[in-house]
Amino acid sequence: MIPDGFVRPPRIATWLVALFASAEKESLEGDLFEEFSDLASRSGAAVARRWYWRQALQSIVHLSIAAFRATPYSTTAVVIAGLLLGRALFPLTEKGIFAVLERYRVFDTHFDAYVFFATDGLAAAHVVTSMIVGCCVAFTAKRREMMATITLVLLLFGMTCAALLVWVAKGNAFMLWSMLPWNFLDWFAMLVGAAIIQNKRTASRKLSSRP
Amino acid sequence: MSSRDYLGEFEHLTVLAVLRLADKAYGVTVRQEIENRTTREVSIGAVYATLDRLEAKGFIKSHLGDPTPERGGRSKRFFEVTPKGIAAVNRTRRALESMSEGLILIRSYS
Repeated sequence: MIPDGFVRPPRIATWLVALFASAEKESLEGDLFEEFSDLASRSGAAVARRWYWRQALQSIVHLSIAAFRATPYSTTAVVIAGLLLGRALFPLTEKGIFAVLERYRVFDTHFDAYVFFATDGLAAAHVVTSMIVGCCVAFTAKRREMMATITLVLLLFGMTCAALLVWVAKGNAFMLWSMLPWNFLDWFAMLVGAAIIQNKRTASRKLSSRP
Repeated sequence: MSSRDYLGEFEHLTVLAVLRLADKAYGVTVRQEIENRTTREVSIGAVYATLDRLEAKGFIKSHLGDPTPERGGRSKRFFEVTPKGIAAVNRTRRALESMSEGLILIRSYS
């Protein structure tokens, strides 16, 4: 039973911390919960929520850096493998979609559908492929799933920024600007894929640790 | 002697906090001890990342307590400094003292 005046910590912040804390998840969550409840009863729910969010975000940064420092070489290898997997899968997705469009002669019979699949459909397929890449990276990077996937996303973000600068310098960045929202969606999908694998692993670890 | 035998700044603070707290050293108390004594904001994630690293080096050890309702049914993880950890604290302190010995430390530029 939940007592009167009970204030729950922000769920999203709790979920985010759980994604990044692997071995120490239970005790870290418990520590945050204990300090949050104490602060909420002393200073009010709003102050406690702000404190919780600040602690959660700072903790995520520290835990990610610590996880990378613990296994820098294997993490780098997993991230590069993820990058190459993306490079291999994205052209295959495009080829697959155009093969189907050609096979059923969509261009001749349903031109609007052809345009949709060749533009937004293709971008949506990229999002799904990104999620698969995120799953693969997280699956390979045991106990540092989110950190490895975030490193890959940051690498892709850096590459996109570099490409943007080059295209802006050449005066034809319009295409890249128009693709940016889809790029952000791709990266978000990678993180979602990693979060799915991380959650599955945590659930199976909990089950196996039960007596 | 390798650099692994010495403690980094935050590692040093963390081990000293665990020593001060004795059998009451767990995430919350360690974080608050460092925050209160250094007056700098410390995240629980930084404390755990450091404690994990120290445990991997064999400077501290930990054990889980019983789950408690005020923690939403989650266990506390208690920490304890090992003899190897105490030796590392002493070594680091001696190194710092040796480096600052004879120096006139300027307190302010005013």
